[in-house]
Amino acid sequence: MTTSALDPHAVTASDGHDPHGVTDPAITQKSLNADSLRLISKPGPWWWGIFILDLTILAIGMIAERNQIALGIGVAGHTRPVMWASYVTNFVFWVGIAHCGTLVSAVLFLFRSHFRRSVYRIAEAMTVFGVMTAGLFPIIHLGRPWFPYWLFPYPNQRQLWPNFRSPLEWDVFAVTTYMTVSTVFFLVGMIPDAAAARDRAKSAIAKAWFTIFSMGWTGSNVQWKHYYTAYLFFAALATPLVFSVHSVVSWDFAMAQVPGWHSTIFAPYFVAGAIFSGVAMVINLIIPIRKAFKLEHIVTTDHMEKLAKLVLFTSTIVGYSYLTEFFMAWYGPSKYERDIFWWRATGHFAWAFWIMFTCNVIIPLSLWFKPVRRNMAVLFVLCLFVNVGMWFERFVIIVTSLAHPFEPATWDINYRMSWTEAAVLAGSFAWFLMYFLIFIRVLPAFSIAEVKETLIPPKRKAAA
Amino acid sequence: MIKKIDALVGKLLEGPKVVHRGVLGVFYYVDDVTTLVTTLRGLGHTNITVTSPVPHHDVEKALGQGPSLVRWVTFCGGFLGATAGFSLCFYSMYSWPLVVGGKELTSLPPFVVIGYESMILLGALSNLIAMLALARLPQLKAPAPYDARFTEDRIGVWVPGDGPEAERVRDLMRGHGAEEVTLHA
Repeated sequence: MTTSALDPHAVTASDGHDPHGVTDPAITQKSLNADSLRLISKPGPWWWGIFILDLTILAIGMIAERNQIALGIGVAGHTRPVMWASYVTNFVFWVGIAHCGTLVSAVLFLFRSHFRRSVYRIAEAMTVFGVMTAGLFPIIHLGRPWFPYWLFPYPNQRQLWPNFRSPLEWDVFAVTTYMTVSTVFFLVGMIPDAAAARDRAKSAIAKAWFTIFSMGWTGSNVQWKHYYTAYLFFAALATPLVFSVHSVVSWDFAMAQVPGWHSTIFAPYFVAGAIFSGVAMVINLIIPIRKAFKLEHIVTTDHMEKLAKLVLFTSTIVGYSYLTEFFMAWYGPSKYERDIFWWRATGHFAWAFWIMFTCNVIIPLSLWFKPVRRNMAVLFVLCLFVNVGMWFERFVIIVTSLAHPFEPATWDINYRMSWTEAAVLAGSFAWFLMYFLIFIRVLPAFSIAEVKETLIPPKRKAAA
Repeated sequence: MIKKIDALVGKLLEGPKVVHRGVLGVFYYVDDVTTLVTTLRGLGHTNITVTSPVPHHDVEKALGQGPSLVRWVTFCGGFLGATAGFSLCFYSMYSWPLVVGGKELTSLPPFVVIGYESMILLGALSNLIAMLALARLPQLKAPAPYDARFTEDRIGVWVPGDGPEAERVRDLMRGHGAEEVTLHA
């Protein structure tokens, strides 16, 4: 590997220091090891308190799910014509959350945005746990959840194959590929850091645990050479994947002729929305971690501001898409399309539409102001609003279009969220958070090796 | 009980002792390593291993490393994936021919999604396998002497050899700013 302009690890300053990385001169390679691995310690009462609360919510969700399996999908309250309701809303929401990790780790890697180095591990973990949560919902939503393997193309006696022309089958391929690739990318990125943790482990059991994740890594020149070439290709493969997956998810809707769904804008609109909600979730996860573990020198306010700018940027795309949808409905030939958009903003579910619009378009406008972007408390609350808004975006798309189809006789509004659906939704957040809480305690949550690369490499010439 | 398990795991991790023959130098400054590697290569040493917490481009240049073979394996995996994805769609359509809406059996546009995702899946998995195979991972024992400082802030240079040649390398390392030099014989 050479230090050419194409080298994603090339640094910009003449002394070898990366101005977009960790800028505190007091930070050394040694202190970075200690600070990053500080998270892997015996959890305190705060962690246990949150974890137990999380498991309690998860248990409530699981009881609701058990109830649904025993009594049938009818307890979820899905009624004609709103048969997708909140479960598909949750699926799209969690797939969207999962998108930010690959954006930060792969897309920003290819774009040489070096600020990603401090935050990408948490974003990647969020991706993996987000897809694990999203993947549950198509199964939860099945009438017979014990047959999910029917979705996969496997050789069987009757030569039955899934319908490869169906967007739902495309989704199976896209989401499982995304889950596999993002998990591999996450674990490969962890190898050098797990080696650093292994070499500092205090017990043999901890050492064995980190040996598994480091695979016996030593950091030899041969290993680094193949590792970084592979990393570059992972990024190059994950980048088109991240755009394709949410495009495919959007086609679950856009390929149908339901008013409000049948639109060519859906793919870019969904991708921007996914990145928007994902970055907001990363900010929501990082702010408490950097505060609780005093890591403001590793994830600096500048890094957080750059993430906030990403939220602002994607918010403008999402806002533009909302307005374009309305414009196309007004300008286009379909009266059904005009009707559904008017109904969305003024009908039975107008409250959901205006929550969505306020949280996703109006509130993020405050990010144009630098003090807002750099105030962590304000940024945290703002990103919570964004996540609420993005959940409602999927709810508005799915529920309003299904509740107001072509046939006026079906416009009788009989859908309201059931307790089962609400408990499963809460349980999905608890499921996601459970993995995250465990992850930050058992594996390196920050990329030690990549953050080290932003420091000035020690040189005798400079020291003399 | 936990202590006993810990001791047992420790023993298992240690494994049998491996005898290495050569010289290991521990360095702090990157430019010292670069100069040493250039000198060693000039003297005809080709089997040099540099172990560091982060990759250093100057050292890579001095070692004269060529591009990794990983890319070819990844390319082949991606190609195979795309072929397999499209083939699965075509095969399934012909194994149970079902005309829907009077359309062609093999409608290419919807199959692009399957072919595309399969290309990425197999490309990524081949990338992983190639990286692991070429970097000799997973490994239980390092092929050269290893020090925990190499994942912190120190750089290790290992030159295999013995006898007067090893002594010459040891002196060379000392002259090039090594903090520690160990002769393994």
